[in-house]
Amino acid sequence: MKSLLKLAVLFPLLISACSKRPAELVFAVGGAPNELDFWETIAADFREETGISVRILRQPTDSDQRRQGILIPLKAQKKDPDVFLMDIAWIPQFAASGWLQDLDAAGGVPVDTAPFWKNIVDRSDRYGGKLVALPVYVDAGLLYYRKDLLKKYGYAKPPATWKELLEISAVVQAAVRKDNPEFYGFAWQGAQYEGIVCDFLEFAGAKGGLRTENGRLLAATPENEKALAFMRDLVSKYKISPPNTYTEMKEEEVRLFFQKGNALFERNWPYAWGLHQADGSPVKDKTGICPLPGFAGPDSVSTLGGWHIGLSKYSDKPRDAARFIEYVLSKKVQKELSLKLGWNPARRDVYGDPEVLKVHPHFSQLRKIFDNAVPRPGLPYYTQVSEALQRHLNAAVSGNEEPAAALEAAQKEIDAVAERYGGGK
Amino acid sequence: MRKRLLSGLEPYLFVAPLALFVVLFVFIPILGTVWSSFYSDVTFLERRFSFLQNYGALFSDPGFWKSLRFTLLFISVAVPLELIIGTAFAVVLDLEIPLRGLLRACVLIPWAIPSAISARIWELIYNYSFGLANFLLAKIGPASPPVNWLGTDFGAFAAVTAADVWKTAPFVAIIVLAGLQAVPRDLKLQAKIDRANFAQIFFKVTLPLLKPVLVVALLFRTIDSLRIFDVIYVLTHGGPGGATASVSLYAYKYFLGGDFGYGSAASVALFLVSFSLSCLYVKYSGFTEAAS
Repeated sequence: MKSLLKLAVLFPLLISACSKRPAELVFAVGGAPNELDFWETIAADFREETGISVRILRQPTDSDQRRQGILIPLKAQKKDPDVFLMDIAWIPQFAASGWLQDLDAAGGVPVDTAPFWKNIVDRSDRYGGKLVALPVYVDAGLLYYRKDLLKKYGYAKPPATWKELLEISAVVQAAVRKDNPEFYGFAWQGAQYEGIVCDFLEFAGAKGGLRTENGRLLAATPENEKALAFMRDLVSKYKISPPNTYTEMKEEEVRLFFQKGNALFERNWPYAWGLHQADGSPVKDKTGICPLPGFAGPDSVSTLGGWHIGLSKYSDKPRDAARFIEYVLSKKVQKELSLKLGWNPARRDVYGDPEVLKVHPHFSQLRKIFDNAVPRPGLPYYTQVSEALQRHLNAAVSGNEEPAAALEAAQKEIDAVAERYGGGK
Repeated sequence: MRKRLLSGLEPYLFVAPLALFVVLFVFIPILGTVWSSFYSDVTFLERRFSFLQNYGALFSDPGFWKSLRFTLLFISVAVPLELIIGTAFAVVLDLEIPLRGLLRACVLIPWAIPSAISARIWELIYNYSFGLANFLLAKIGPASPPVNWLGTDFGAFAAVTAADVWKTAPFVAIIVLAGLQAVPRDLKLQAKIDRANFAQIFFKVTLPLLKPVLVVALLFRTIDSLRIFDVIYVLTHGGPGGATASVSLYAYKYFLGGDFGYGSAASVALFLVSFSLSCLYVKYSGFTEAAS
């Protein structure tokens, strides 16, 4: 009883002791352990330079869990985290919720956005006329290919159209299978998650995709149907993509499949490059990258991805936070980001830096691809739109729904979502 | 006088800590969820009272019915399997066999592993290119292409069910084992003297006496299985094509999209299902009489 009493007295004290932290900036960021360690060193450097201490709120790698970890404190109007990284697809939701500060106002002086990709900042980081976020690193879908195998079977160039990709895959797959029965022509992301939407937008090409017509987001179009049928056929008709495409294939599964030497082509984000080229990788120096093919050649599209930095509306230290953001986006840190983590910095000037180009010669090609990358629809209710799409696209690829019917069903759900959240806007 | 008043209060004082716990951590959150389900509470829209509008939208969404159908189908397959397998384990572990203590501890292992981790283990078993299942199939089975276990509606359903049964049957086994120990030995002995065989003793003597314990296990497992989330989140994420999306996963996706009102409505709907099922069990199992 006595110890219980003691506990009852001590408990509130304990709680208050835990909540009384020294004034510090809190930066929520997730990722692999080496990435989090990188952020710790950036925070330490920043403290040395400015005297402002930053605590890294370490988040998991899973992007849904990262979003959950930021969304809940924001919804509860907590002061922390002050600064956080957002997936590009969340920005409209966060901005429309009024959670993001205008970065032009927060620092006292307008932000110079000239060093960044104008298409990315204009289409993804501005909301309602305000600058609500800035890109930290950028992503876009690429085609990885096996240079050695293309050469061996007499192909001078990687494919420019999906038709070429099919033909090359069929020939090479048949030949390599004799030694490696697990070999497939083309690996891509088809599991039921955000990745299948990104890949779908790329297959749909410049003429398809999710365009808005008279205020209505259009999914069920002939171009999209053709793309979706092609995605299904890659697995079940042409059989150049593995059967587990629609059950297991996410970024990492695709990356490992290719890296083990089991695929000729791979659709992935640029992060895979560094891992393919790492020591001990079976495909080291055998890999090339190029823009994704299109149906008619030059109509190819890359879905824009990447992580952007935002400043919470409820932050109690917006000035310090703005300085930290400025620091993260300085050329010095952006350069370190690419040299130490192999990420693609958001600043264009890093891509021309001789020191960076020496380590990452492929950066010269990436620049072109980022110039033409296409963002996903900038809707606050994009999550719900994507959820409907993921389900029906995946059902079509798995053969459970016909492409036309799947898109019709997705369209119906998207219309209902728009009606519900957009008031028909 | 004062003394009598105090002693009259005594039972309530004993119950108070538990009651406080239940009110704080059960009633208030449930009421909060019900309250929030009456609002159009979307982070990027004006919050307003909308009464039953969320429920209207919920009941007209085929996605919700699909997830409810899946969840009900899941409990009607998984829970009986868990009860049967768990009871069978308990009966074996109740026998006077060598290494009984060790065996009892072993059976508990799946229950002790966090579900997210056990789901990862199952993911490695089902994996198409390097999974254990396909490896064994290739080793001992006829020469055939590897099986895409999670690729069909039925396959994904069976995979999720197997992972869940593996994990939770031990829980049933422990509860039933405790119940078995309360079955008086002399009753069994009496039956033996009357020349009843093992099966007869089990079905005519043991099982009826186990009924209250089985109802508790059934109740716990049903309520727990209704909110299945972690196994599915890890194993299929609701795929293929939404075939294994449970109601919890459905609600979670709306919370993530910022629609707290709608997510709450889906959670309340699930709560009502689980509450009415529990009431049915308690009413028709004679659980209350048996307990008193």
